[in-house]
Amino acid sequence: MHIAEGFLPPAHAVAWGVASAPFVVHGVRSLTREVREHPESTLLLGASGAFTFVLSALKLPSVTGSCSHPTGTGLGALLFRPPIMAVLGTITLLFQALLLAHGGLTTLGANVFSMAVVGPWAGYGVYRLLRRFDLPLMVTVFAAAFVADLSTYCVTSVQLALAFPDPGSGFLGALGKFGSIFAVTQIPLAVSEGLLTVLVMRLLVQSSKGELTRLGVLVAGRETGANAEAVAR
Amino acid sequence: MLPIDAAAHSSRWRRRHPVDKAVLGLGLTVFAISLPPWPGAALVLVTALVVLLGPAGVPWRRLWRAYRVPLGFCVTGAATLLIQVGGPNGFVALAEGGPARAGQLLLRTSAASLGVLLFAFTTPMSDLLPRLVRAGVPAPVVDVALVTYRMSFLLLDSLRRIREAQAARLGHTTRTAAWRSLSGLGATAFVRAFDRAARLQSGLAGRGYDGTLRVLVPDARVSVRFTAASAVLLVSLTALTLVLERPLT
Repeated sequence: MHIAEGFLPPAHAVAWGVASAPFVVHGVRSLTREVREHPESTLLLGASGAFTFVLSALKLPSVTGSCSHPTGTGLGALLFRPPIMAVLGTITLLFQALLLAHGGLTTLGANVFSMAVVGPWAGYGVYRLLRRFDLPLMVTVFAAAFVADLSTYCVTSVQLALAFPDPGSGFLGALGKFGSIFAVTQIPLAVSEGLLTVLVMRLLVQSSKGELTRLGVLVAGRETGANAEAVAR
Repeated sequence: MLPIDAAAHSSRWRRRHPVDKAVLGLGLTVFAISLPPWPGAALVLVTALVVLLGPAGVPWRRLWRAYRVPLGFCVTGAATLLIQVGGPNGFVALAEGGPARAGQLLLRTSAASLGVLLFAFTTPMSDLLPRLVRAGVPAPVVDVALVTYRMSFLLLDSLRRIREAQAARLGHTTRTAAWRSLSGLGATAFVRAFDRAARLQSGLAGRGYDGTLRVLVPDARVSVRFTAASAVLLVSLTALTLVLERPLT
């Protein structure tokens, strides 16, 4: 769930835009450098952006019985790295705001910060950390997707609590209020997204080893070896 | 093509320069969140609705289908302001002044959403993206956004066909089958996206691709009259808000 158009007061909307800007600028520089060195990357990155956008069209069965869509931030961060995801996430959020009326332009900064900055970085950080302990690839993939999804909604709760503090208990009360509302749906959804990401990654390990190695997700001779094969099976 | 973009391509204002429509649509959005919700956002809401259904010629059914999505989020979001946590009335109680705050938020978000919809329903993405280079967005980012935009429709179409094929093979009958189908759908989207990128690369390489995507943009000029009229409308809304706000409060 993105923060809807006009939901944040102007000062908050501007502040979150300023907070997101350095990450997006860093991502734009990485992307520009990549495209200048390898012009053919434009098409690959465009395809990656389309994949990220299309992920939000997948209906995810929820444990609570309802239905939602994956954020795609965990999978995107693992495949394309967080700096690139900051740009691809911004493009995706812009398209969602203008083509699907989902999210908004005045809340773009806040949504970028939660979905295109914190989610990918948190997920990727957990992935790198767990890989150091030589855990199976799919365990780390699940953890990364789970953390990326959940951290996105934690940040959204903080953003909403800052904008609308509770009249009785202030920021902490509002954080508990928004957090508990999100927790009912988002913890099951984060588990669902983690499972979906593992299933997608399993299929990709089987069918697209070349692309995954080119993206640096698989290291030739490591994940393509017995470890990944065993998990993928 | 997605419904809002399809409507934008056949809009009465399609030939207008995006800056004209941005000043009006996004101006209304900015004013909706900047002016006091009552009566400011209410005036913006009515104005945006009149412009959308009148001069812009957006069919009300299409508008409603697009508008009910953000409206649903606005209502659920505003509902949280009705309760408070802690305080003398118990752990969870009705918030004092909650309905007023929820009503103001609902007015602000619904008016702001209509402003963006006015821009989206009249400006195709293919007119907007190439012009972003002039606005200072680096060309490689715009190129990536253009490829993303064009490839999204192909992928969405592919996903629809795959989903139909999976359903025809009873791929959604049980929970396990649904998960298997869903993961297949996600993985296939990835594989197809990369496959299309590779084939597009081969095709463009044969035509002398140098890393820049050159696309034709419909010729349009910024209308001084339209922009000035939009500015006058926005200033009038502000003045009317200030006049009405005092006696009402």
